[in-house]
Amino acid sequence: MNRREAGDNMIEESGKRGLKKGLITLWKLTKIVVPVYFFVTLLKMSHILDTISPWFEPAMSILGLPGEASVVLVLGNFINLYASIGAIVSMSLTIKQITILSVMLSFSHSLFLESAVAKRTGVSIVLVVFIRLGLAIISALVLNLLL
Amino acid sequence: MDFSLYIKESVLGSLSSVLTMAKIIIPLMMVMEVLKDSNILDRLSHKISPIARFLNISNNAVFPLIIGLIFGLSYGAGVIIESAEENDLSKRDLYTLMIFLVACHAVIEDTLLFVVVGASLWFLLGIRLIVAIIISYLASKVLNKMDMGIETKGDKN
Repeated sequence: MNRREAGDNMIEESGKRGLKKGLITLWKLTKIVVPVYFFVTLLKMSHILDTISPWFEPAMSILGLPGEASVVLVLGNFINLYASIGAIVSMSLTIKQITILSVMLSFSHSLFLESAVAKRTGVSIVLVVFIRLGLAIISALVLNLLL
Repeated sequence: MDFSLYIKESVLGSLSSVLTMAKIIIPLMMVMEVLKDSNILDRLSHKISPIARFLNISNNAVFPLIIGLIFGLSYGAGVIIESAEENDLSKRDLYTLMIFLVACHAVIEDTLLFVVVGASLWFLLGIRLIVAIIISYLASKVLNKMDMGIETKGDKN
């Protein structure tokens, strides 16, 4: 086997592995996005969301977000990013709102799981959670003013 | 509430979301695997070593940094726990590293998810990296000043 063939083989192998990993990720995503989509649609159509959204409206508007987006933040921080994606796709949000949510959630998500992981390395959980929520809130405030 | 309308909307809406995600995730995962196998990690660790010097962390911290940055906190933490047990990392390295990683990790997967729903890839990636570099730089400065204090702080938690 010459060098060129070996290279092609490697790319084929990597590609196959990538396809498999892509499908696994997609399945993980599907398992959580679909139930969350059902859940949020239920909240929406039963007008529960219309009832609770105004409670969060004042705080959320400082971050440049509608009240209903509080559901996205709660799901992302308590469960994981997949759950928040499920909620985002079931709402109609503007690009600005999606950008703010994305930045907030990239800094702060899966707090229970990831703080447990961080603690195992020996750093303080309080510090970790404080940094992450702080970054999320500050970045949203700044983006709301700039965008 | 109209129940059949609810089922219809949920099924169609969630399926079309999953399809959109498939179109982005599968090709990108394939490209990522190919890149991963083409010794790009080695070249990346060269690129990252100036950042490590800037953050004032030892070379031993660069590998866990890259692993966490690309593959996520769990994998990064796995490598960090290993390094910490072998006494390769000082308390200061550990804190600087973890402060960087909690703000910015699994950059490919996390960023990808938000690109799927319409966020800008470079904007999101850029903000996360820059903010992580700034706060861990500040952390390393602070830790330098209170070198002794961190011992007790780390043990308490």
